[in-house]
Amino acid sequence: MVKRKLGALEKVEADLPNLQHKIRRDPKSYIEDFRAQHYQYESHREIFMAAPTSATDTGIISLRELIDFVAHVADCYPDITKDFSQQLMDILTQHHLVLEPELREKIVGSLVLLRKKELLDSATLLQTLFPILITTPSKTLRALIFQKILMDLRSSNAKTTNHKLNRTMQTVLYNLVTSDRVSSKGLWAIKLIRELWKRQIWSDAKTVEVMKEASLSENEKVIIGGVRFFLGGDQEREEMEDESSDEEAIDLGKVKHQVGINKKTRKKSRAVEKAKATVKRKERKKNQPHPLNFSALHLLHDPQGFAEALFSKHLQNSKSKLNLEQKLQVLQLVTRLVGLHKLHIMQLYSYFQKYLTPRQPSVTSFLASLAQASHDLVPPDVLEPLIQKIANEFVSEASASLVATAGLNAIREICARQPLAMNETLLQDLVMYRKSKDKGVVMAARGLLGLYRDLNPEMLKRRDRGKEASIGLRSGEKKEKRFGEEETGGIEGLELLEQWKEEERKKKRAEKGLPSDAEDGEDEEDEAADWDAWNVEDDEDSDDSGGWIDVQSDAEIDLSDSDDEKDARPSKKAKQGAYNEENANSETAQDKTEAQKPNIATIATTRILTPADLAKLQELRTQAAVDALVPGAKGRRGQTNASRHKDDPLTAEEIEGLAALSAGKATREERIAHAKEGKTDRAEHKSITAKRKERKEEQGKSTTNKEKARRKNIFMTLGKARNKNKRSLVETRNILKAHQDRQKRGGRRGNNG
Amino acid sequence: MSKITVAGVRQNIQQLLDYSQNEKKRNFLETVELQIGLKNYDPQRDKRFSGTIKLPSVPRPNMTICILGDQHDLDRAKHHGIDAMSTEDLKKLNKNKKLIKKLARKYDAFLASDGLIKQIPRLLGPGLSKAGKFPTPISHAEDMANKVTDVKSTIKFQLKKVLCLGVAVGNVGMTEDELIANVMLAINYLVSLLKKGWQNVGSLVLKASMSPPKRLY
Repeated sequence: MVKRKLGALEKVEADLPNLQHKIRRDPKSYIEDFRAQHYQYESHREIFMAAPTSATDTGIISLRELIDFVAHVADCYPDITKDFSQQLMDILTQHHLVLEPELREKIVGSLVLLRKKELLDSATLLQTLFPILITTPSKTLRALIFQKILMDLRSSNAKTTNHKLNRTMQTVLYNLVTSDRVSSKGLWAIKLIRELWKRQIWSDAKTVEVMKEASLSENEKVIIGGVRFFLGGDQEREEMEDESSDEEAIDLGKVKHQVGINKKTRKKSRAVEKAKATVKRKERKKNQPHPLNFSALHLLHDPQGFAEALFSKHLQNSKSKLNLEQKLQVLQLVTRLVGLHKLHIMQLYSYFQKYLTPRQPSVTSFLASLAQASHDLVPPDVLEPLIQKIANEFVSEASASLVATAGLNAIREICARQPLAMNETLLQDLVMYRKSKDKGVVMAARGLLGLYRDLNPEMLKRRDRGKEASIGLRSGEKKEKRFGEEETGGIEGLELLEQWKEEERKKKRAEKGLPSDAEDGEDEEDEAADWDAWNVEDDEDSDDSGGWIDVQSDAEIDLSDSDDEKDARPSKKAKQGAYNEENANSETAQDKTEAQKPNIATIATTRILTPADLAKLQELRTQAAVDALVPGAKGRRGQTNASRHKDDPLTAEEIEGLAALSAGKATREERIAHAKEGKTDRAEHKSITAKRKERKEEQGKSTTNKEKARRKNIFMTLGKARNKNKRSLVETRNILKAHQDRQKRGGRRGNNG
Repeated sequence: MSKITVAGVRQNIQQLLDYSQNEKKRNFLETVELQIGLKNYDPQRDKRFSGTIKLPSVPRPNMTICILGDQHDLDRAKHHGIDAMSTEDLKKLNKNKKLIKKLARKYDAFLASDGLIKQIPRLLGPGLSKAGKFPTPISHAEDMANKVTDVKSTIKFQLKKVLCLGVAVGNVGMTEDELIANVMLAINYLVSLLKKGWQNVGSLVLKASMSPPKRLY
């Protein structure tokens, strides 16, 4: 920039901060000065507006400074500056293309400042800034405006949700996305929404609707932006939440401790107060009910229509410009919708047909998508040819083990969702692969075997069925689930609870010496006691049956894991329930089970289950399952994806599965890395003392005197040590005496002498 | 409220029945509904629950049911006086969305023969499952009347986009004991579905179609 001369005008300008400061303190007495400056601003502005392109350097600079000044004190003279914000907006909207960057930035900043001072409402500000954001070619301005818009939306939603503003903004975004489907302007809507979704500021159906429109647009970037939002937006939100809860963790104990050590100042005590307040606020926040955060996929208004539109527009359409990777993402979204909402899109399955070959790039993603798209309401006859094709193309003796593993895993995942899609001969054929030489293939085949032992053992050969499944078949508990059948649920393990209650009652009676069939007036009392003991954990401890479970605690842990797995597959859950009950009763005689059945209803229909009851129910359930599974203790076979949430996507990695096992001989490093994978990272081997010391240091605790002495620089102690040798006899005696006296007193700080 | 007792439920039900049967009797059979408000429930982290349970007595006897069946089932349906449609009838709908929607709205539930049910998605498209009325299978061996009662007495708990849900558990024509049994079973089942049991339950309200609500919990 050219060096400026200091003219008369600019001397006044140099005083602007000073004047601003004075005005802030006493607006009334400086009103004339302000008027003068405002007049100057007006004249500068008029000059500028007359010829925005030919404005001089000095003119622009003084205009900028005057704008800054007026914006800062505008709240003191609302009547003089009532047009100010409108003028700024005019300059910005009309001339943002030719404005000098610094001036432009200043105007945007001033507008935001005016908004903060409540001289301008959010809606107007956003409606001014947003069109500029979309149209301007300047990257810096876009970044600035985007940040400001985001900030403004956040701040106006900070205390309470500003429904009105949100609605107008959402409408603007919606119109932006829908009005021009070919352009990439919709990206800004996506960017903004994604950010706001992540911060849980916008989490309603209308937001999702905008994204839905975005995914149905014509522009690839916008499409993929929208699709990505559906696939990953919720995860992002969750991560954000975790992060924010981590970062501000204040250790109150530490803060208090430090204050105890260091000099007490007012600043320090204030810091403690502040820390206390934040901790308290956070506690309160933690106890607050969760905000309603349904995932975007659940908030869709018409999932069937959306999935159909996506499929026909981007995947089936031969004119679609998407590349393979993008198509895969769209496919992932479509299939997730299909699986989650149990939609029917029949063409989808035939679409897969041509992609299911080992040579297809990223075929595992296709397989995962196919598995996602299958659910129990898909007609088996559309899935059957697909499974057949996977089996033919992927699983054969000649194919590479990696390929076979992927194929078997994919088949398993599909069949877990729709067991009827498998036919008997194929299944028996595939199960034979568990005798393969390759470990990955063996595991995959075993997985399939385990699955069908659970779901429909009749399809397996007799010797493959396994003990439990055969017993289940014979007793008639295991039946094939028919298509479209929905298992009516029961309260799992209820008869166990009833049995247990009966026993308890008898025990109590026996203790009191009453006949066992007396009128039970105490039942109500029991119930009351249960409700008082709301804390379930305590109640559990007081149970007398805990003793022998501990002995088999290993098995129990194992089992609770496998329970989770079972829960993860909703289609199987109900079956599993029946199976557990059957196991529970297998030790008792068959006829007894029959006799109990009417009782099941009575307890559920005459009593309210208290929290303690529920806890006991849970305990009995696991116990019964432990009993059933202890001899085998192999309950987890074949179900790799533990604790899977129903809404979670199935990934290509899961289909590849244990392919790592079959990838030839691994090098030593690889094997070590593989072994280490699951373990928690332990930094290095160190003595306990060293670790303790480290921990102490981390927590900011001080060192002991002993440590201080040990660490002291040798040169500081050297002189003293040398002196010791040069003492005279008298000195030595005096020192010794002083030492003895001190010892008697109880040390240097002793106060008893 | 801190707890829920059997006596309390019984009292509320008595009041409810008394109101709708004596105080203000309406010209139709009022349905008794259980309304549930949940709390401390995070729909994204906790598993979204849904479940069906069969109640001891039929809550809504006037439920309309349609049989989609082959010839054998059509005959049986005729014998029991239940509406029925054959494959040809379904084909006549010609996948017309409006007609299918109309069909779905006309009936409360559907039953389909074992042989036919696999073709339902092909014949009718997504219309039925969109309405949450995908048919229940029925085989030739099963007794149709029994099956129909089964379907009628099965209720479904399903969480939609809000944290409250309502289910029909009975009607005012039922006896007190029947109603209590139904209510209890529904409550117990619901609580057993929830991850944290009673800690997830915010409120339980019982009300008949035209009665004032009675808060149970």
